[in-house]
Amino acid sequence: MPYSLLLVFLLPALGIPFVYLTGKKSPRAAAILVALIALANMVLLFTTVPTVLDSPNHEYVEAYYWIPILEAEFTLFVDGISVSLAIITTVLIIVAALFSINYMKGKKNLAVYYSLLNLLSLGLVGVFITSNLLLFYFCWELMLVPAYFIIGGWGYREPFRAAFKFFIFTHAGAVFVLLGIGAIYMVTGATDMFQAQAALMTVSPDLVRWILLSLTAGFAVKMAVVPVHMWLPDAHSEAPSPMSALLSGVIISAGAYAILRLSLGTVFPAVMGTTFGSDFLHGLTVFGVISAFFGSLIALVETDIKRIIAYSSIAHMGYVMFGLSLFPSSAIVGTVTITAAITGTVLHLVNHAVSKGLFFLSAGAIMHQTEVRDIREMGGLAGKMPFTAVASTTAALSIAGTPPFACFISEFLIFVGAFEVINTDGFFLLPTALMLVATVISLAYSLRYLSHVFLGQAKSEDEKKIVDAPNYMKAAMAILAVLVIVLGIWPTFFVHLINTVQFI
Amino acid sequence: MVEIWDIALPIISLVTFAFLTIPVFRVIRRSQHKTALTLAWFSTVFIVSGAAVANLTAKYYSLPSPQPFLNITLTDTPAATYSSAFMIDSISIYMAIMFISVSAVVAFYSIFYLGSKERPSERYFAIMLMLTAAVMGTVFSGDLLTLFIFWEAAAAGSAFLMIYRKTPVALNSTLKYLVMIIIASAFIVFGLSIVHGLTGSLNFWAVRDTLMALSDKRLLLLAFIFIAAGYAIESAIVPFHFWLPDAYTAAPASSAAFLSALIDQGSYYVLIRVLIFILTPPGVLNWTFMLAVMAALTMIVGNLFALIQDNVKRLIANICVADVGYNLVGITSLTSLGLMGNLYFFLIGGITTALSFMAIGIINHYGFKTLEDFSGLGRKMPFVSLALVLAALSFAGVPPLGGFTAKFLVFTAAIQANMGWLAVIGVLTSVLQTAYLMRLISYMYSRKPKDETKIREPKKLLIPIFIFVAAIIILGVYPQAVFDLIQAATQQLQFIK
Repeated sequence: MPYSLLLVFLLPALGIPFVYLTGKKSPRAAAILVALIALANMVLLFTTVPTVLDSPNHEYVEAYYWIPILEAEFTLFVDGISVSLAIITTVLIIVAALFSINYMKGKKNLAVYYSLLNLLSLGLVGVFITSNLLLFYFCWELMLVPAYFIIGGWGYREPFRAAFKFFIFTHAGAVFVLLGIGAIYMVTGATDMFQAQAALMTVSPDLVRWILLSLTAGFAVKMAVVPVHMWLPDAHSEAPSPMSALLSGVIISAGAYAILRLSLGTVFPAVMGTTFGSDFLHGLTVFGVISAFFGSLIALVETDIKRIIAYSSIAHMGYVMFGLSLFPSSAIVGTVTITAAITGTVLHLVNHAVSKGLFFLSAGAIMHQTEVRDIREMGGLAGKMPFTAVASTTAALSIAGTPPFACFISEFLIFVGAFEVINTDGFFLLPTALMLVATVISLAYSLRYLSHVFLGQAKSEDEKKIVDAPNYMKAAMAILAVLVIVLGIWPTFFVHLINTVQFI
Repeated sequence: MVEIWDIALPIISLVTFAFLTIPVFRVIRRSQHKTALTLAWFSTVFIVSGAAVANLTAKYYSLPSPQPFLNITLTDTPAATYSSAFMIDSISIYMAIMFISVSAVVAFYSIFYLGSKERPSERYFAIMLMLTAAVMGTVFSGDLLTLFIFWEAAAAGSAFLMIYRKTPVALNSTLKYLVMIIIASAFIVFGLSIVHGLTGSLNFWAVRDTLMALSDKRLLLLAFIFIAAGYAIESAIVPFHFWLPDAYTAAPASSAAFLSALIDQGSYYVLIRVLIFILTPPGVLNWTFMLAVMAALTMIVGNLFALIQDNVKRLIANICVADVGYNLVGITSLTSLGLMGNLYFFLIGGITTALSFMAIGIINHYGFKTLEDFSGLGRKMPFVSLALVLAALSFAGVPPLGGFTAKFLVFTAAIQANMGWLAVIGVLTSVLQTAYLMRLISYMYSRKPKDETKIREPKKLLIPIFIFVAAIIILGVYPQAVFDLIQAATQQLQFIK
């Protein structure tokens, strides 16, 4: 359908005043409006899928007049990878909006909250559907500002401290991204990712190295890989739960996507096959393994219900980083043979988004109903909140990588990819073994979480009165729980989409 | 054909209106409908002078392409080198359009801002119009003396806007400003006299051509040091910056907005036009490295001083200093991209600082001055706070606001000129800038205010503020709107390396 991607951009942008005005009268209507806009966006994204599947290049492009002086066109672009991530983003926005109806009930200024959520959705989806570097950066920063105000305005404890940390860390990362983008534009004269890729091949490798490092460092902050993860536990745990779901599900995935698309896709081919190239990939592996271990181990001892999940996000970004480092280090430039590792990594972003979204929402439901955050003070909730218990179990087991839930398939694919790479590069043997160990730890913290929260005896008298989550919360969790199971059993749709990609 | 009258018309009309303002205000004060009549009067003023600028633009761009530099002198004799000259090219047109439109918005803000507190003073508005005429004359000047006269009129006249409230602090800081300006103009005059001795002319292009062929450059170096120091003082480059935060803090908000948007940007224009293109282009004297060091220092010092400020108005005044640094980064690169960045920065930087001074003016009116006072302001005055937040984000370079595009252009230009280190310093200071601006924002939204009473925001003052907000958003998302004008300018000016 012509203009579908432009509409994906315009709908949330033009919807903001309507959401605000509706929210003044009835916050619930505003939430439903946000969900409807996201739903419309999802449908629009689905209309591009046939083109992506069938066209010879397996991509769908729209370009509009924007800033010719900077060679910048308003290029909207999707291929198998980006459309998968964009679709899953819209799903998470829908459930976050629905979940907010009950969760945010009684809070102040909800009209502003839903307007910000709508603005956020513009940035979140926009990051995935453009191939212009400037537009990409616009959306990249557009994720930041509304997220800052949502965390700060409606979060827990000292929300603005957490939001400030989040803003400063990721903005500092973003300026390194900007430096990289500026350098790319300067040396190639192109602001389109694919034109830049070709043009960078002729640039002196010294400069390309710096561009690559600057970009990757900037994206790694958003992705919250150790040692630049410090903002994540605070931001994720202080944010209102629907926002945590978006932060963990989409925002950090955007960091991973940007590394795949820009660092590895656009810049990396210019140093492919050199010693620096393979060292770079090995460096990513090391950070990935460290993050996976660090995140899992802290999640194992943490007692705050949301911080456990936050650290588990760091661990999972470790998996993703590990998967990214399995990027083919020598390939014919311009075309990428999709390896099992790349498919697995992108699929893991999708699956992790759904599972972690569900995990945060169920934790949010527990906090909302019990008003307790410490898992040592909980217990026996399975009987009182059976629906939430089932949802949590689904999410936790998926995060632990248990079949038949979603994350199992993608982790499995990443490991298959790892074994493929080990054949040619012995370096990956030890990291792969370590990552398998980390998987066991993730099972351990998931089970610890479940047993503390849902099994055993109630710890205090108040828990008698606790009832299960209200309906909109249940609906939101149900959507994600179904998706976790469906994606676990039948990942074919996304695998097929991702495998059509020919250029990264 | 562009006649000298086409160039003089905007200046003459503004000066005439400035003189007429005094009797007109006397009449208005006796009438029943003071506000309506004042508005009508200023609408007339700006429509007429805007039309004069539009006429000039239309005539200039109807010339056969590519449009030339026009250097128009008052006499046609060969002695024209001594005669006052006007110059017109795309840059001066761009600056003139920017000055007249920004001045109009600020003037409408001033009417309500000053009117709400005391009786609208006719002298204040007369001087404001006079200053607009003076900066307009500066950008159209074609020889060093004309430029000097117009620019000094603008710089010295600003003192009247600063001193308006006549508080001891204002008197003190205005005195400081005047002393600095007098020193600066003495330096400049001395430098100019040497240049005249060397070249026998003050006409831009005559000077430029003679200096290019000059073999003994010792005297020129001396002249350069004096002139550069003079203009560095006037545009508040570190280490000559300390008058600016004092003066802007003591001035009423409407004056600070006017000064930061017109006089400040005008001073960068003078610096760039005279020093880089006319007097000592790098082909004549190579001083880009010095400029780069000054740029780095200005960014660092401006931002560090802003970081430790407790008074929010002073914080913004220090950002004005830092903005000089970002502008210098653009010009240091000596590329057309850098020049584009500069010209775009003039507009965005001017609008953003004016916008924040205007917002802070309203807030100060209710007695909120320090960061502590700003606690919980987001809830008490939602609209003014929103405007201030957007201005802060634009300063910090967050897209899609205009500040981002401006910074992107200047930093990219620095990388292009192999001054990666300068770009890195710029980027790091931007992070610092983000940090203290976010601190301001978190004060406004996270702290609990001392009392929860909501304040009725003056709607009339919000209109000019939101015009500027719309401008930074639109120019950020769609910068091409001004790039068309800017691009013509960058193609005209050739860098002499």
